[in-house]
Amino acid sequence: MVAAAPPLLFLAVFFVWPVATIIERGLHPDGAWDLSVFADVATDPSIRRVLWFTVWQAVASTVVCVLIGLPGAAMFARFRFRGRAVLWSALLVPFVLPTVVVGVALLGLIGPGGVLGVDLSGTVWAILIGHVFFNYAVVVRTVGATWMTVDPRVEEAARTLGASTWTTFRRVTLPLLRPALAAASSIVFLFSFTSFGIVLLLGGTAHRTVEVEIYQQTARLLNLDVAAVLALLQLVLVVAVLWWFGRSQHRRAVALEQRRAEESQRPAVGWQARTFVAGNLVVIGALLGAPLVVLAVRAFSTPDGWGLGAFRSLGDTRRGSTAYVPPVDAVRNSLQFAAMATVLALVLGACAAWAIAGGGGRVPRWSRFADTALMVPLGTSAVTVGFGFLLTFDRAPFDLRSSVWIVPIAHAVVALPFVVRLLVPAVRAIDPRLHEAAAVLGASPGRVRRSIDAPILGRAIAGAAGFAFAVSLGEFGATAFLARPARPTLPIAVYRALGRPGEWSFAQAMALSVILMVLTVAVMLLIDRLRPPGVAEF
Amino acid sequence: MSTNRRGTVSAAAIVALTLALALMVAACSSSAPSKGAAVPPGMVDGALVRFDEPVTLRVLAHDSFAVSAEVLEEFERETNVRVELVQAGDAVTMTNAAILTAGNPVADVIFGIDENLLGAVGAARLVVPYAAVRLADVDPAYASVVEGGLVTPIDHAEVCVNFDRDAFTGAGRALPRTFEDLTAREHAGQLVVQDPASSTPGLAFMLATIARFGGGDDTSADAAWLRYWKALKANGVKVVDGWETAYYSEFSGGSGEGTRPLVVSYASSPPAEVADTSVAVDATPTGVMTATCYRQIEFAGILRGARHPEAAAAFIEFMLGRSFQADMPLQMYVYPVVSGTPLPDTFAKYTAVVAEPLSLPYAQVAANRDRWVGQWSELFR
Repeated sequence: MVAAAPPLLFLAVFFVWPVATIIERGLHPDGAWDLSVFADVATDPSIRRVLWFTVWQAVASTVVCVLIGLPGAAMFARFRFRGRAVLWSALLVPFVLPTVVVGVALLGLIGPGGVLGVDLSGTVWAILIGHVFFNYAVVVRTVGATWMTVDPRVEEAARTLGASTWTTFRRVTLPLLRPALAAASSIVFLFSFTSFGIVLLLGGTAHRTVEVEIYQQTARLLNLDVAAVLALLQLVLVVAVLWWFGRSQHRRAVALEQRRAEESQRPAVGWQARTFVAGNLVVIGALLGAPLVVLAVRAFSTPDGWGLGAFRSLGDTRRGSTAYVPPVDAVRNSLQFAAMATVLALVLGACAAWAIAGGGGRVPRWSRFADTALMVPLGTSAVTVGFGFLLTFDRAPFDLRSSVWIVPIAHAVVALPFVVRLLVPAVRAIDPRLHEAAAVLGASPGRVRRSIDAPILGRAIAGAAGFAFAVSLGEFGATAFLARPARPTLPIAVYRALGRPGEWSFAQAMALSVILMVLTVAVMLLIDRLRPPGVAEF
Repeated sequence: MSTNRRGTVSAAAIVALTLALALMVAACSSSAPSKGAAVPPGMVDGALVRFDEPVTLRVLAHDSFAVSAEVLEEFERETNVRVELVQAGDAVTMTNAAILTAGNPVADVIFGIDENLLGAVGAARLVVPYAAVRLADVDPAYASVVEGGLVTPIDHAEVCVNFDRDAFTGAGRALPRTFEDLTAREHAGQLVVQDPASSTPGLAFMLATIARFGGGDDTSADAAWLRYWKALKANGVKVVDGWETAYYSEFSGGSGEGTRPLVVSYASSPPAEVADTSVAVDATPTGVMTATCYRQIEFAGILRGARHPEAAAAFIEFMLGRSFQADMPLQMYVYPVVSGTPLPDTFAKYTAVVAEPLSLPYAQVAANRDRWVGQWSELFR
């Protein structure tokens, strides 16, 4: 309970309060409640269409993501191959790219004049592809990290007893993966459910999600009453879905005897294994690689021909202008904000996960409630939170509206659910008998945490840190709607370059995106290696 | 365990309560300076006001705002005011966010208020009126748009259909010139526009059709301007979310990578596609259909509740000064509003002067915008 207080308080102040404030402003404008807008929205047939589309595209995106992601997770969990570590890190690249850039990349493939020769822009297929591009890493990295800790001998035993590969997967592996799978699919669902940039960029005018409506009613038209009703609707749906997901996650997780990753992996030998790995690599290449290649090609093809011209021009084209962002500064700002957000989210998330999973003791009764509550920020509209910030933190000494602190805080609000989702199953999977044994042998509670829990949780913590860092690098959430003093990050520099016409602006935006991609891979590799000694093997 | 738990519940409650109290006290005790009194002029005897003590002025601007560092330093030297930029989002998002906190602003002066939001800006009393001394230098066509000095015009940038020259003249075909040409069969499937619900140029183009074809008072689906959009739709117009997608992914001209040779963009876009003035005027990669241009003026204002209204006034005067006006075209791809400001070579050579762009009174836009966007959406969703 003590452990749950800081994260819940953090969310109460930086999420619940601003959201409640802006909803109140919408429905209670001049000192009186005005609820007539509920009727207007409820009877609007176009809103019903929007709701239906929002739900089904989110379900479809989640199903496709899981179906494509599960084999990927299996490959990373079970096979060693060259370039595995780099690829594992590179999976997160799509996740951090600014949506506009993802739009350019995907439209370069499946848009008008695209390389593939089919124009899918404006269709629901483009939206699904966009969501899978964004969220593939969520499934593979979340489920894969758990799969690595499943002792392959359990599966081998099943096989020896005559079970087929499919039966082994269904009856043995899948139940062990269920908590991680539920975590991944709930995150993918929430991201697709509240998708806004992808739907606008790739879906044309015919496809709209609730999030798109909320954005337009809030940021474009300032119709806060309609926006408030839609935000409440979104909230209700999100909580309902999370509650449902929570059931499958909450079934008592099986305590696992965890294995060293090296022991559970083997080289791909034999035609079946080779085909499996090759198939996955083809999927990754087509789905993630091809759009990224489009970006890289555009970054290196400049008005003066092929070369590093766009990168070089980043250093001088707009020097002497207030709009000039030295790329080194953008990288530094991005890294600083991301580091702050990651530390904040990890500390709060670890507390929350420990309390929810009943680390070292019984699972508290309220844990499922807290579990759901901590996920809700992922399913809430960023513009609602952003404009809510403006209304809430507007008085000294808490005038955070144009403080740089608002950036890591807002990123941590989005990163926190990731951390909790990844840590809770890991904490639950710790065999309580290990604690008992240690206690019997005279270890203090602190010693138990240090010597037993920390090493076992190491992989989950590294995974959570990776996602938290990526969330911040990608400028997720409310920060896009906040005015802030000149500390532009890489995604913001990309947006500014893309907002201007001209060959050089475009090439520079692509060059900055390539820098962001390289930075992401480098940071993720580093995080994967940074695990404390004794942790790396698990 | 159970006593322990009770203890911790109250500990958490105390922390929460303390924080809530601190915030409430903070909320009640703060006061907004500079209420009521008229803003003193930012310029006296032809020179900007100079402050004895250094002042830090916060300037709220959209993401496209840019000024040469040396021009800005000129202001800081002259006035002893240090400028801190606060930027977020495009003009509409920035203005709406500012309206939300009207009276308790994050900055002192706001730049880039969209003409179409002036109705809301006035209703929310976002800014305090200021009659700029240098307004006398501004071309009357822009100075007369807003009466009473609520906000001050700083630049203009017309929204017009741009064409990919090579797609037409390269193929020996005539360039489209008028709105009617866009619905002609020979231009089927060539135009890409932005959704007026999500895009500023998209909204401007929709307003252009209302100004051109009329029917703005007609609430039916058969309004004259909507009939034009039906014809556009039948002719295969494509609607995308915003300028970036339209220009870079759909448009075939200049830096565009798409397939459509006609796009809604700005009158100032063609110079951006030319590196130097060696290119002949009729050989630029892209050009402008001047008959389709809609007026777009950007305004600045002193935010109500500003800490330094006098410094804000000085900044507004500075923005109407010669150096800032001459600096804007290459920094922001907009045109100066002060008559006689010299234009950079590429601008002087490659931009067509739009003599009489289409426009609608902002009060009419404020009163009807939501309905018009709704009518448009009925047709396209």
